[in-house]
Amino acid sequence: MSRDLLVVGMSFRTSPVEVRERLAVDGKSLGEQTARLRAAANVPEVLLVSTCNRVEAYVGGEDRERTAHAVSAWLADKAGQEVDPYLYVHHGSEAVRHAFRVAASLDSMVVGEPQVLGQVKEAYSAAKSAKAIGTLLDRCFSHAFAVAKRVRSETEIAAGTVSISSIAGELAQKIFGDLSDRHVLLIGAGEMGEAAAKHLRKAGASLTVVNRSIDKAQALASQHGGQGRGLEQLAAELARADVAVASTASPRFVITPDLMKGVIKARRYRPIFLIDIAVPRDIDPRVGEMDNVFLYDVDDLEQVAQENLRARRREADAAESIVTYEVNQFEKWRRSGVLTPTIVGLRDRVRGVLEHELARTISRMDSLSDRDRKSLDKMLDAMTNKLLHRPISELKAQADTDDGKALVDAARRLFALDEERAAGEAKKDSVAPLQPARGRGKVS
Amino acid sequence: MAVTILFALTAASYAISGAAYVLFLARGTEDAAVWAARALGGAVLFHLGFLSTNWIVGGIVPTADIHQALAVMSLLVVLVFLVSARSRKRLRVLGAFITPVTLLLFLGAAFRRGVGPVPEPVRSALLPVHVAVNVLGLAAFALAFAAALAYVIQERQLRRKQLGGLFQRLPALDVLDGLGFRAVMVGFPLLTVGVVTGTMWAVKINQGGGLGLSATQGFALLAWVLFAGVLLLRVAAGWRGRKAAIGTMLGFLCTMVVLVGYVIQDGALG
Repeated sequence: MSRDLLVVGMSFRTSPVEVRERLAVDGKSLGEQTARLRAAANVPEVLLVSTCNRVEAYVGGEDRERTAHAVSAWLADKAGQEVDPYLYVHHGSEAVRHAFRVAASLDSMVVGEPQVLGQVKEAYSAAKSAKAIGTLLDRCFSHAFAVAKRVRSETEIAAGTVSISSIAGELAQKIFGDLSDRHVLLIGAGEMGEAAAKHLRKAGASLTVVNRSIDKAQALASQHGGQGRGLEQLAAELARADVAVASTASPRFVITPDLMKGVIKARRYRPIFLIDIAVPRDIDPRVGEMDNVFLYDVDDLEQVAQENLRARRREADAAESIVTYEVNQFEKWRRSGVLTPTIVGLRDRVRGVLEHELARTISRMDSLSDRDRKSLDKMLDAMTNKLLHRPISELKAQADTDDGKALVDAARRLFALDEERAAGEAKKDSVAPLQPARGRGKVS
Repeated sequence: MAVTILFALTAASYAISGAAYVLFLARGTEDAAVWAARALGGAVLFHLGFLSTNWIVGGIVPTADIHQALAVMSLLVVLVFLVSARSRKRLRVLGAFITPVTLLLFLGAAFRRGVGPVPEPVRSALLPVHVAVNVLGLAAFALAFAAALAYVIQERQLRRKQLGGLFQRLPALDVLDGLGFRAVMVGFPLLTVGVVTGTMWAVKINQGGGLGLSATQGFALLAWVLFAGVLLLRVAAGWRGRKAAIGTMLGFLCTMVVLVGYVIQDGALG
């Protein structure tokens, strides 16, 4: 067999997080682990992808079954437990398709999320610096990055944000336009609220935190370069904020219509965007009916997220057909890549056998002149060409078809083109002398 | 003949541009926006050709009567839009609202073309001023109207939590609000001068008859009151957003009623 691409791995679809987290490799040790896996599996090419949603080894090697086994043994050793039930194994064009889909974020938990491409790129450069990348993986992943780019620009797969905090940021931008001179108020020091505030802060807004405990407010605010205030300042702070994110643990409404009426007057009817991500809610829903007040609660944001996600899935069909087309392109390249060495190998092998037999015969004849030897040599060329004319033209003609792949494999097998190591055994079988053949024949 | 051809070409270009802008608004096709802008550029050239041919060949001064005034006004509306949209790409979608308004104004210019000149009593040095300020004022209001309409749509979508394609393409509320406010700020003083000069003639014509207001004058005053309210409440009481947008739209509709009145009566003020 020629060198084949193989992927052995597990993702959020096939395995629980408890197993994946044991196999997780951080960015720093990625190169080192790649090198280790390469040594353990004894293969020329390895690329190790590790994200919180997947651990996958892409391997370029000859013996598919042995390699898959070695990789899964390495993973099991690392996890300290059985991993086979969680693993998937793809090879050939299915492995290529898998690589393309992962890079294009089609296999992600959140379809279209952009991080995975960066993580695969990181894996690629780690493997490259560990010198574990050969022609096959290099070509496959350069192609995968191009596919990801194409999918991103030609479909709407990444359109519409799908995380609560980024949706909050996007909505704020829809109300206020540029956020750079806007003020964000964080009510309560909850984690969800912090994430949303962080997002808005990144867009350039300034930040104030109000909390029942002023110490906690100040601690959190100083982390994000803002100010902390006590909860009694709520009305005054609401009057000067543009966006307010509420996430307190209060069982009752913190912002009531009465409070808001005063606030609206104090802010001279400037619009305000209220985001309520507390459960139970912090903001009386009636507040959302007031003029120039825009109120979104967790369910509203979740609904937007779901809607955007549905839209992305609709786009996924278009993305899949791009992937299919590109996988075919890649396979075309691979077939042509295998074809040339196969043709060279065939000529070498046939001419080698002829040469060997001729040499044995000639050794018993001592009356041959140099001229005679030369014509015999020419005869060998002619015989090689005549014998291989039909097989080679057939291989070339079928290069782009599935038949062609089968033919190449058949030719390699029938003429033992991949059996450097197995050469000794072949000799025992005494089918044909294989050793002297390699690399000496003339190739035109 | 040349004038008629130029007129048809202008109207057709506006129609094509408007259709392309609406397509852009509905679908977000980038190509549609590009073609809409090209068609609009073509329309402006034809429009300029139409006006100058009228002026040079026909000897019709652009402020001569209500038709010419409408033709100039519609051109100004487009120019103001093109300049605003140049610096802010997101404002392009407003073309879907502005271009149809422009087309209507321009077609109004053709309505009962060739009716006699302005009647004797109204002719005075103030006439070109009256026409010019109204033309400029209405151009500003047309832009304010487009911004206000987009604001109301955008605000509604935000409140109903329908964040579909249309929502994605409209500019931010604050941008629309600010644009509407500035446009009204520019238009209002012009409208004021227009109403004052108009009323002066009304008084002159009705000498001795008191202040008998015609329907068009009534609407002109109503528009003035509405715009005054929009500005005053905004500056004094901080009114903004949806209410200001609705006020702006109503004000613009009143000025349109005045215009229609003029076109039908053809410049008669009595």
